[in-house]
Formats: sequence, C-alpha cells, structure tokens
Amino acid sequence: MHRMNDHSSSLSSPAGISRQKKESVITGIWLATALVAVITIILILGFLLKEGLPALLEIGLREFLFEEIWTPTSVEPSYGILSLIIGTILVTLGAMVIAVPLGIGSAIFIAEIAPRSVREAIKPAIELLAGIPSVVYGFFGLVVLTNWLRITFDLSSGATWLAGSIILGIMALPTIISVSEDAITSVPQEYRAASLALGATRWQTIIGVIIPAALSGITAAVILGMGRAIGETMAVLMVTGNAAIIPDPLWNILSPVRTLTATLGIEMGEVAIGSTHYHALFAIALVLLLIALIINLSATVILGRIRNAQMGTGKTPFLSHEVKGKVKTVCLWLACILLIGVLTVISGLSGALLLIGAIGAYLLIQRIITPKITEKIAFGMITAATGLVLFTLFVILFDIVSNGLSAITWEFLTEGPRDLGRSGGIFPAIVGTIYLVVGAIAIALPIGVGAAIYLNEYTIEGKMTKIIRTGNDLLNGTPSIVFGLFGFAFLVIFVGLGVSLLAGQITLALMVLPTIIRTSEEALKSVPDSLRHGSLALGATRWHTISRVVLPAAAPGILTGTILSIGRAAGETAPLLFTAVVFSKRFLPDSVFEPVMALPYHLFILATNVPGADTQKYGTALVLLILVTGIYAVAVLMRKHAQNTVRW
Amino acid sequence: MKQQDNALETKALNLYYGSAQALIDVDIQIPKNQVTALIGPSGCGKSTLLRCFNRMNDLIPDCTISGSILYHGEEITGRSTDVVELRKRIGMVFQQPNPFPKSIYENVIYGPKVHGVRDRKQLDEIAEKSLKGAAIWEEVRERLHDAARGLSGGQQQRLCIARTLSVGPDIILMDEPCSALDPIATAKIENLITELKDEYTVVIVTHNMQQAARVSDYTGFMYMGRLIEFDSTPVIFEKPKEELTENYITGRFG
Repeated sequence: MHRMNDHSSSLSSPAGISRQKKESVITGIWLATALVAVITIILILGFLLKEGLPALLEIGLREFLFEEIWTPTSVEPSYGILSLIIGTILVTLGAMVIAVPLGIGSAIFIAEIAPRSVREAIKPAIELLAGIPSVVYGFFGLVVLTNWLRITFDLSSGATWLAGSIILGIMALPTIISVSEDAITSVPQEYRAASLALGATRWQTIIGVIIPAALSGITAAVILGMGRAIGETMAVLMVTGNAAIIPDPLWNILSPVRTLTATLGIEMGEVAIGSTHYHALFAIALVLLLIALIINLSATVILGRIRNAQMGTGKTPFLSHEVKGKVKTVCLWLACILLIGVLTVISGLSGALLLIGAIGAYLLIQRIITPKITEKIAFGMITAATGLVLFTLFVILFDIVSNGLSAITWEFLTEGPRDLGRSGGIFPAIVGTIYLVVGAIAIALPIGVGAAIYLNEYTIEGKMTKIIRTGNDLLNGTPSIVFGLFGFAFLVIFVGLGVSLLAGQITLALMVLPTIIRTSEEALKSVPDSLRHGSLALGATRWHTISRVVLPAAAPGILTGTILSIGRAAGETAPLLFTAVVFSKRFLPDSVFEPVMALPYHLFILATNVPGADTQKYGTALVLLILVTGIYAVAVLMRKHAQNTVRW
Repeated sequence: MKQQDNALETKALNLYYGSAQALIDVDIQIPKNQVTALIGPSGCGKSTLLRCFNRMNDLIPDCTISGSILYHGEEITGRSTDVVELRKRIGMVFQQPNPFPKSIYENVIYGPKVHGVRDRKQLDEIAEKSLKGAAIWEEVRERLHDAARGLSGGQQQRLCIARTLSVGPDIILMDEPCSALDPIATAKIENLITELKDEYTVVIVTHNMQQAARVSDYTGFMYMGRLIEFDSTPVIFEKPKEELTENYITGRFG
C-alpha cells in the first residue's frame, strides 16, 4: 500500500488476492454477528414451543385459552388463562386511556407550543422518566399509590386494575411522548407556513395539518407504548392484586386483576420443573410473546400504509373516498352510543345525561366561539396535561429521594444485608448489578456493533437484511419476562449453567442487543458517504475504511446507545428472576457460575416479602434510581455534546 | 399614482433579524390589480419584504420591524392587527410546492374549512372554482380524492395557488414560485399569473429576470436590504435610472 511510486506490480497480484480473502473472512464474521438476533428469536420461539406444547396437548388449546379458572396448584388443578388474558387487556387498555391523551398532549406542547428554553428543560425530564426502572415504579405504586386508592375509595386493598393502569400509563408515557414528539417535529416547516398563510390559527394548523401529517409516527408511538405496557411484569405484579378473576362487572376498575406477565413472575420461581404447571407457564409465555409480536408487526404494517396513502405512492386505496366517509360517520356514532351506554351502567342515568349535555354544549360552542378562543382553551388543556406529567415525575422522585436519603449511610453502601435485609447494607447487590451489567455489555456490544456494521456497510438492502431487521424488531418487542423464561429453559437447564451470574449476563445481553444494533446502525448511517468514498478512493480496503474512518466518526452515537442499554440492563428485574439472582447473599460471587444479588431484585423482595424494612426499601430504591438515572443523564449529556460539536 | 390605487405600501420600513438588519428604509407602493415583481441578488431582502406583507416574519423569533406597512391604507404592523384575517386576504405561494399530505380536494377546502365553511355543497363549489382559477381543474377533476403529493411538481404548485385562491384573498404573494419547476411547468404558472391580475394583485419574488420581464407590470430592484429602484417593468429593463440596476440587469453582477 505504501509503494506509491512503484506501478510495476500487476493489478491481480497475490497480495491483492489475499487482501480479498481477508475481506471475505471479515464479512463472514459480521454476518455471523448479524444473525445472532435472528437465531435468538428462533431459539426463544423454539424453546417456548418445546416447553409449552406438552401443556397445550394435555390441557387442550380451547380449554387453555377460553377457560376462566386458573388454579394450577389446587388438588384438582384448572389451567384456563382467559381471566389472565382479559386482565392483561384491561390493564393495558386502562393504561392507554391515561397515557395516550397525556402523552400526545405533552408531545404537542413540547414540539409546538413551548418556548425553546422550556422545551430544552422538559425533554431531558421526560427522558429521565423513561430511565426509572420498572421495579421502582412498582415500589412507588405499592407504597404510595395503592395506599392512596385504598383510602380514597374506601377499599380493603388498593391493589387494583386502576392502580396497574395508572402505573403502566406513567411507564408508557415517555415512549409515547418522545416518539410522537419526534414525529411532530419532523413534519416539514413548509406545511406550517402554508397553513398559517391561509389564515389558520396555530391550533387549527396543529389539528388540521401537523397531527395528520405526523399520524404514522404518533400511531407507532401509541403502539410502542402499548407494547411496553403489555410486556411489563414487575410493576404490574406489585400493584394489581394478582387475583386471577375477571372483574365483575367487567368495567369495575377497582377490582384486582392478574396479568399474563405477573403470573409468570409469581409462579415460575416456585413451580416443579417438568410438571403440567411448568409447561403451562411456558404456554402462557408463548401466548404473551405472540400478542407482543402481533402488536409490533401491526405497527410496522400500519406505518407503511399511512405513509403510502399520504405520499400517493400506494395502490388504489382499500376503501373509496365516499365509503370511507360513511364508515367514519357510522363508527363515530357507534362509539358515542357505546360510551353513553357504558356511562349509564357505571354511574346511572345522570352520568349519561351529563355526557350528552357536554357533547351538545361542545357542538354548540364550536359554532359560536371564534377559533382564537378554541385555540386558547386547547393550549390551556395541553399545557395542563404536560404539567400533570411533570408533576407526576416530581412526586415520584420527591417521595423516593425524601424517604430514601436517611437510609443512605456508609454502612448501608458497604456491608452485606442482615436479618433479611432489615439491617445491614446492600453492597453485594450493588456489586452484583455492576457485574451483571458489565458482563451483559461486554457480550452485547461487539455483537451489536458487528451486526450494525454488517447491515449498514457490507450489504445492500435485500432479503437477507430484511430477515435480520425483522428478527431484530421481533427481539426488540419480546417482553422481558419472556427473556427470563427463555434464559431459564435454555441457559440454566438446557446448557446447564445453573442459576448463575453468567446466565444472567447472557440473558440481559440478548435483551439489550436490539437497542445496541439499532442505535449503532443509526450512528453509522449518519456518517456521510463522502467520508467513505474519500477513504476508498485512496485505495483503502473496506475494513480499513470502516475501522479508521467510519467507526471513529460514529463512536458518539454508538456510545449513547450503549449507555442507554446499560441503564436498561441495570434496572431490569424480570429477566433475572429465574436466571441469576438470589435474595440475601452475604458474600460476593467467586465465579460467574454462582448466583448474585441485584439491586432491582433486592428492592422487589424487600417491598413485597419483608415487612418492617421501610428505610432499607427506600434506600435501595434511591440507590437504584441514582444509578440508573445517572447513567441515563450521562447518555443525554453526551448526545447533546455530540450534537453540538459534530459538524459535517 | 393615487394613494387609493395602492394595494400595499411601506414607509421607512426597517427589519432586523436579531441585530442584523435585513431591510433598510424601504418605501414601496404596490399598485392594485397589477403584477409587481421584486428582483435582486440572493440575500437582498426581497423574500423578507414579501413575508412582511402577510406577517409571516412573526414566526421567526427575534425578528423586529420599524416603520409602517399599509394594506389599502390600513396599518398592519401593530399588535392589534388580526393576523388571521390579514392572511386570509393576503395569500401566499411558496418556493417549494407544499401541498399538505392530504387529498387534492382536502387541500383546496382546508382554508375555507378553517374559516368556518361547513356546508359540503358550498365547499364543493369553492373547490371547483379555485381549481379552475388555478388552471388545474381539467387535470385533476377525475381524481380529486387522490393524494396531492402524487401530482407532478408543476401541478402541485398550481394546486397551492388554488389553495390560496380558496379563501378569497385580494392579494397573492409568490415567493419564487417557479424555482423548483421545469420550463414547461414554469410557462403554465406564468400564463396563470397574467390571468390572475384581473381579479387579484400579485407580488412575485423571482430570481429569474426574464420571468420578471415576461409577467410583471412593475418591477422593484433590491440590493443589500434597500429598494434601489421601482418603476414600470419596461423602464427598469430598458432604461433604468440607477447604475446598480443597470449592472444587475445586464448581468454584470449577482
């Protein structure tokens, strides 16, 4: 390469051929890393089927899905999961009712209404909300929310469907807000200009042009939030009461419910391996995975549809314009009648009359008041929604920080737990969490970056990349508890690692892999082609170009993705429940084949199983919160720094 | 020229983006039912001036103005001006065709709907009239409910003009409406502009001097934020009074 003035060697010299061989070996390595995600999702499906099918064969698919009673441990066990499916659907729906209006409202506020300085302050706060581990939400729900509900509604227990929906709604908010906000912000400025130039108010512009134009992104946001809610285990388990019943009447939001995920979280740890119950739990995981995957795939399909329809690139629309209009009207009327019906049943005739009155008043007012007043009212409501979201964040943080500070002592941070965690400290849990996260990232980072390099640098879009991307999307949509079951069946039992640090690290690695692949790919994509061409034109090989030119340029983006993954891994509980963690271990592990303590699990057990450890609970929650949000804060700052300094 | 014949008029208009001054002491009178072209090199302030007339500069943070702008003799720079009503009367067509990602029909009725027209029949009439006014009706009448962004660039721009006509303005501002179009589409838009002046006052910003010469009745030449010369188009192009104008027209700079 350095014989710059020696042009005597042939263009097909042995050196060139060996260089080509080396290149193809490297390509092979990247292909292998890219296939890890695909293989993992196939393995997950395979193991769930292998362990779940015996139960389905024994119980019968119809009995399993449509029988209401779930009593696997009674003398005459019954394995019907209908109440669990309904519980999952109800809790998720409730969460969406809360999160969708608040989330979209906040997104509109951030993107369209807030002055720049306010926006700069709110966005990181929302990202912080995303960084709070689910077990911390569950803990807050358990000690504060359920208590509040119990007193307010005079219940025997506040652990209810409503509590689950509120907590899940809060957890789904950051996803909905940030994805919607991205979608709204990316609506071209020229649409706004065009609408305003026609004399529309800002609110008319938002409702008439911007929201419709951002609809695909907003739909994706809602579906992603829904996916997060359906797959959530720990928080739901801690606040819904877990009674495997169908609420009676069905809209009784103060009834306890039990979800599919919670059932797995509660029962998997205590089940006899190989029993019908054991296999039934895997069948539940299979059902859960299928629901989650269907939601994810439908998001992709819907996105494509809407985009095609707007850009005029699609085929003739499914419904003609006139039919669509009629369908819309009919649906609207049906929804109105349904809503009124439900309200009548819940709160009697007065509620329904009130609603009818309100709708009538709205229609009347809409004709009378000017667009300017409408705009004021709408902006007020949107600002209030954002305020509510921020207030919630503040309440959660304040509760945990104010109660947890007194627990933080030198002893608490440096000693092992005593008396089931009621005294002593959490040192082994902190170290265990660090071990788990470091191991997981050490495994996931090279694989993830390798896969991203393969996808972005070594292939053109085709069947292969489509398969890899689909595999990655599916893995990304897999609920964390399913990873836990897979880790148990595959790593702990099948590979024979036992409940161990290593099994936990691998499970976590597989779980964060899709995030690392996706963020790395985006980072690589943002490196302009001119840089690559510049290097290649100098006679550098492809690998040389990537390692010396592209990767350094993409490093900040890759690092941000990695840090976000670290945060996620550090806060996760569900995948570790059956693969790696134990409660109350006095000592640090000697090797990767021993089980460890971990902060989220420690908090979970303290909160649910150990009465009288209030200070320690709050202390653990605070340490976990600081650890994870600290990691997120670093990611946010780094991204900001990169955005400010990198100029192409 | 008598005062009431001016659709728009500015007096000692100064505009600042932050501390950078973009318009300096601009005095211009835009005659009614005529086509007025604003020409000048990039960054001379011609688009900025255009955007003053419908207050689109309001959208730019820390943009401040002094001086006065009169619309049919009425001051429109103040806080009390109803910007919504103003923009209804002074329409704007942008450089890039920017139809909304909706159907052709929905694009044309967006404006009327925003201003409170709900009757389907009336909306249909407005749509047809506006599309005819923009000379695109024949091309799209069979596919009114197709996506607007599936149209060609030139058709999209005429749709945008139709959209502007739909709210019944009396002035139409055009900000380099043909710069993204090919020569054939450009010719159609230019024909349209000359037809429009029967009913509307048109102010067009253009980079293309031939275009200004072809379509406009009056031409203003701007340079470095100042209006250097304003006169009837033949005068500007054949015997300009200012040397700067002559240099620009003859291609010696810009």
